[in-house]
Amino acid sequence: MTTDSTTAVHDAHDDHHPTEKQYWVVFVILGALTALEIYWAEAFREPGGGILVWPLIIMMVIKFLLVAGAFMHLWFDMKILNGKLFTWAFMGALVLAMAVFAIVFAAFEFQV
Amino acid sequence: MTDVLDENLDDANVFAGNEDAVDGDGHGTDDHGHGGGHHSSLGLSNMKLAMWLFLGSECLLFGALISTYLLSRARFIQELLAGNPNVTSTMPDFLVEEFQEAGSVQPLFDIPFTSASSFILLMSSLTMVLAHKAVHEADYRNSKIWLSATALLGSVFIAGQVYEFTAFYREGLTYTGNLFGSAFYTLTGFHGVHVTGGIIMLMSLLVLAFRGKLNQDRAETVELVGLYWHFVDIIWVLIFTIVYLIP
Repeated sequence: MTTDSTTAVHDAHDDHHPTEKQYWVVFVILGALTALEIYWAEAFREPGGGILVWPLIIMMVIKFLLVAGAFMHLWFDMKILNGKLFTWAFMGALVLAMAVFAIVFAAFEFQV
Repeated sequence: MTDVLDENLDDANVFAGNEDAVDGDGHGTDDHGHGGGHHSSLGLSNMKLAMWLFLGSECLLFGALISTYLLSRARFIQELLAGNPNVTSTMPDFLVEEFQEAGSVQPLFDIPFTSASSFILLMSSLTMVLAHKAVHEADYRNSKIWLSATALLGSVFIAGQVYEFTAFYREGLTYTGNLFGSAFYTLTGFHGVHVTGGIIMLMSLLVLAFRGKLNQDRAETVELVGLYWHFVDIIWVLIFTIVYLIP
């Protein structure tokens, strides 16, 4: 490969990864979400142990997506891989795994 | 050890069909300029694909552990509230009373302390991506700083987990005492072992860096370790919310 084409690959690679500033922004958002989670868990805990769980789950999912998407470069690699076999294999396995866990949970019933 | 790591990296490049990446000194010089390995028909380098497959299997492992924890905790609480002596006799009376009063295991946890640990692990993910970026841009001085920071933050997290386990054990929650203790220690312990494995990988990279062998050609190696490290961080994001925050 010539020097020019190597440089082109370098540039393409750089285009698909976040900048340092973007990493810091993602980190600040993650930190803020963690603080919000803790506040929510403490402030909305009822005396009987009940809590509004769904906001916590939503915040957890957002944090999951931020780390996987930005830090693990999934958003950026997906742009390169869009439509390729890996994307379908990855998404198919993910959906299958989630379905299996949902079925396992649904199948359990406790009796004291 | 680093010589072995060196040879393994070269072998991995050859295995990936990327013989051009290995020169006489063991330095990669592939077409991509980042030790990127050969791109498979799936559109991803073989090394990266292997790491993703490994992480996929890890998803199943932790999925099973988290599911087991949730089911075990639910059963434990049900039996505790029903006053089952087989369960209540496994812990000190004050802990049983606290759990029964709250209707959950939350009184055991020190949320501010665990929150600090979570923040430390999140911060280590940031330093990891900055380390990868530094190696990618041939900024070797900063790459050493960020790799060291990541290993240090991971070590602080592990130290916190050891402290937490010790505190819980002293309060009366043992590994073999009851279903909740077994599930809790297994889940968080497995995560701790993974973090420790990540720290060992980071230390290996640091040794390579200080010997001048972690150059731009090996940016993908740093990225692969980063993928593992971020995965461990993601698992903690789930554990923190599911185990510590949701009753």
